[in-house]
Amino acid sequence: MDEEPERAKRWEGGYERTWEVLKEDESGSLKASVEDILFQAKRKRVSEGHGQVRLGMMRHLFVIIDSSRSMEDQDLRPNRLTSTLKLMEFFVEEYFDQNPISQIGIITTKNKRAEKLTDLAGNPKKHLAALKKAVDSTCVGEPSLYNSLNVAMQTLKHMPAHTSKEILVIFSSLTTCDPANIYELIKTLNALKIRVSVIGLSAEVRVCTILTRETGGSYNVILDESHFKELLMLHVKPPPASSSSECSLIRMGFPQHVIASMSDQDAKPSFSMSHLDSTGEPGLTLGGYYCPQCRAKYTELPVECKVCGLTLVSAPHLARSFHHLFPLEAFQETPLEEYEGERFCEACQGELKDKSVFTCLACKKVFCVECDLFIHDTLHCCPGCMQTDRTS
Amino acid sequence: MIPKLCYFLKLLVFIILNNLILKLKLNIDGLLVYFPYDYIYPEQYSYMLELKRTLDAKGHGVLEMPSGTGKTISLLSLIVAYQKAYPLEVTKLVYCSRTVPEIEKVVEELRKLMDYYTKQTEAKNDFLALALSSRKNLCIHPEILHANIVVYSYHYLLDPKIADLVSKELAKKSVVVFDEAHNIDNVCIDSMSVNITRRTLDRCQTNVETLQNTISRIKETDAAKLREEYSRLVEGLKEANVARETDMYLSNPVLPDEILQEAVPGSIRTAEHFVGFMKRFLEYLKARLRIHHVVQESAPQFLKDIYEKVCIDRKPLRFCAERLRSLLRTLEIADIADFSAITLISHFATLVSTYSKGFTIIIEPFEDRTPTIANPVLHFSCMDPSIAIKPVFGRFQSVIITSGTLSPLDIYPRILDFRPVTVASFTMTLARTCLCPLIVGRGNDQVAMTSKFETREDFAVIRNYGNLLLEMSAIVPDGIVAFFTSYIYMENIVASWYEQGILENIQRNKLIFIETQDAAETSMALEKYQEACENGRGAILLSVARGKVSEGIDFVHHYGRAVIMFGVPYVYTQSRILKARLEYLRDQFQIRENDFLTFDAMRHAAQCVGRAIRGKTDYGLMIFADKRYARADKRGKLPRWIQEHLTDGSLNLTIDETVQLGKHFLRQMAQPFRQEDQLGLSLLTLEQLQSEDMLQKIAQIAQQA
Repeated sequence: MDEEPERAKRWEGGYERTWEVLKEDESGSLKASVEDILFQAKRKRVSEGHGQVRLGMMRHLFVIIDSSRSMEDQDLRPNRLTSTLKLMEFFVEEYFDQNPISQIGIITTKNKRAEKLTDLAGNPKKHLAALKKAVDSTCVGEPSLYNSLNVAMQTLKHMPAHTSKEILVIFSSLTTCDPANIYELIKTLNALKIRVSVIGLSAEVRVCTILTRETGGSYNVILDESHFKELLMLHVKPPPASSSSECSLIRMGFPQHVIASMSDQDAKPSFSMSHLDSTGEPGLTLGGYYCPQCRAKYTELPVECKVCGLTLVSAPHLARSFHHLFPLEAFQETPLEEYEGERFCEACQGELKDKSVFTCLACKKVFCVECDLFIHDTLHCCPGCMQTDRTS
Repeated sequence: MIPKLCYFLKLLVFIILNNLILKLKLNIDGLLVYFPYDYIYPEQYSYMLELKRTLDAKGHGVLEMPSGTGKTISLLSLIVAYQKAYPLEVTKLVYCSRTVPEIEKVVEELRKLMDYYTKQTEAKNDFLALALSSRKNLCIHPEILHANIVVYSYHYLLDPKIADLVSKELAKKSVVVFDEAHNIDNVCIDSMSVNITRRTLDRCQTNVETLQNTISRIKETDAAKLREEYSRLVEGLKEANVARETDMYLSNPVLPDEILQEAVPGSIRTAEHFVGFMKRFLEYLKARLRIHHVVQESAPQFLKDIYEKVCIDRKPLRFCAERLRSLLRTLEIADIADFSAITLISHFATLVSTYSKGFTIIIEPFEDRTPTIANPVLHFSCMDPSIAIKPVFGRFQSVIITSGTLSPLDIYPRILDFRPVTVASFTMTLARTCLCPLIVGRGNDQVAMTSKFETREDFAVIRNYGNLLLEMSAIVPDGIVAFFTSYIYMENIVASWYEQGILENIQRNKLIFIETQDAAETSMALEKYQEACENGRGAILLSVARGKVSEGIDFVHHYGRAVIMFGVPYVYTQSRILKARLEYLRDQFQIRENDFLTFDAMRHAAQCVGRAIRGKTDYGLMIFADKRYARADKRGKLPRWIQEHLTDGSLNLTIDETVQLGKHFLRQMAQPFRQEDQLGLSLLTLEQLQSEDMLQKIAQIAQQA
């Protein structure tokens, strides 16, 4: 959120018909524009997200990235593939930031085949490296929805029942080349309680509609790059867990970071367990995190201990996923005409010009639409309340 | 105190009732209408208002409303309510539709309505509805007399051969509805036209022989029967005449008024004489078919010729159809189907001698396409659709003609020769613009795209058509339906695309299916097409305007996300029958040839592109790929609900521009769309309907022509 998404140059953009948006307003409410409907939906989402729901905090997510011919389309800059991979990098970082005890895996599909780019793992570094490397790959042939879902399913089906099993498909093509009846696969996915969501890059495809409806996922089609980012970020939040998924207590280790200085004579450089299967990085280090159960050494958290299988996290990780459970309450919406008081937004200090204003129920401060969304989607705490807390 | 309490109680009851009943009870201009759905579209309300006005005036109406906006249920609920409210004014509803699936749809809606009625009034339903769909569930007519609603195919009312059996006893105070009536003139013409081939004559020959044998056999065993018939014929057809005058029967155009007053002429009164007469007539027709060049003549010319050659007079010819029927009845022949050939010939004889105007006779020695194969056909072709439908308009107090595409509205009253009291076109109120008509006039190389005769073989035009389809196949999800102007044109283009390698490229995006003239093949292709749309592979269906697909098959949602109309579907103008008809229209109705041809082409184009939008939640691209569509005379003939969305910015586009607009449209439409978004705009509850400004808006929906 640090900078405005770069706008394409005017001459690079498609045929835009800005006058049409205006026209629809003029003819009264008979033709509500699609934007209007979208905005309403957005508001609704914010207010809906605040019930007492159980969230699947331990997520196992496979992201399937379509790498077929259609990804070379240049309606996203510079092309769909590069744009998608860039957003994915951002997504992966954000994902681990918000879901520290979850895992992610990446699958690509092209030429009627599916290929695992990275396996399910809880460390962003490997994924980011793989995504960076994938930019140079060529996009050929058709994707196969069936094959890629199948690859993801093979791994996910062995995951314990208390975890949230998810697949996110980024689907650019409008066709899929499947070796078998995909509706059978959808049934299996449903039975395994794997939730499949799809983000379409071009248009609504029937089979995706069915796939997401049957498995309880969401299906969205992007309008432009910023909308794409928005849709992708929706998947950062953990989804509500299905009521049938079982609850269980999970053993977790909180290893302490041992810092050994060079001057300490007893300290011996040692290998980290995570270096067993990766090459290139320096092998021997002093200090690190030691598993409280088996004393295996790791240099980074969170990780699953390779020796005893214990999930190792640090306390701040857990704290960061805390706000999902106690979300900020929705602000009260009032039409602008009815609002009496100073007409500027508490957060951005801009003038209130939208149709409605939003009032925090706790501190009675007033915010504009944009800030309302920002506060609920990103900050998760009300700036007004924070201020009053400090002063009191 | 007590009156106040009473009032209060009443109010309470009213509130409770209102909460209990989810479905709607509407007040349409003072008439209580039960509507078996929770919500109503504004245009449905407007439609019912117009319909009520038509019924009040006891006149005829022409109403155009887009498909998928619930025409059927609006029609049914209003007319049923009208029947209940004024049982003496309207006694029966005759609902005519075109195909069996459509009839089934009507019955389904009717069932819903009736369920709702029984639930509401808690009285036993005294309404009897009857659907006649096919021969296997054809029913005997006394029941029709009592049914309040009859649903059947057009032919039962329009085709004189069947109408006589099924519909002649319908009461005068019936309301007749022709649904999907955009082709009604052609149905009328077909029902009055006769085509005679050599095969027909051969079969007729066998019929005559069978008749002769039966007669001689009966003569030996039951001569009294034949004598009885003879004396009946002397009496003439007085009975039928009485029946018609006392208003019991719907008049049959094949049975003209004058002959009812006369006795059957002596020359064909006895059975043997009649068979001999038919033989002579048959021989004459056989001789006429032995020709080597095309002959076109009028009915009087034909009669003169037949009198000179074989001395057959006009009068006995006119009685042919009636006489044959009487004979078949006397001989107690059960299987009438065997005698279809001779029945056809007898109808021809009656028609040709009855109508001196409105018909033409064309004898062709071979088909245009195969000039080397002798296949003589005698076309006795009707050129005036009003002849067949005249009794319907004359007899019933209200006839409603309705369809999704009836534009331009003024032409139907002209060619069917009637005076409607209401002519209206309704638009579709939409919460989002779900149809996107685009006129593509040029390729990316700026070469004009058109199916005009002079340029249709042009390499560049065909390539541009191919590129358009290729580009669309890459951006449109699931199903695309493409229409060509004719089978031959489609074959040529597809062959050319194959050579240019365009087909191969298209097949990377979607599978390709082709409609053929073979019905079994086509339905197989359709099935596979739908499967491919369903499982995400995507498919293109190449079909032909005026073909089976363009008329009867709906491509809802993903089965048709885009329709491409390649060229303007003009009818094949070299046909002599068409030429004769155009000439007739010009002379009799002052309709210029070009106007009629354009009208005909545009209604078929509208039918084709309308296949993709079957409701408000549906969406689709409508691509007109011919620069001629951009001209005002073509564009202006599209239905209002399409024209409304055809802005100046969507005329004469290049392929690139089309792709950009299409992509944008499809992305917009893919955004989530729920029922709440429609509520209050294009979907109304009872309260919303009653609000003042909504009523004002509704008034704008209907446009009187």
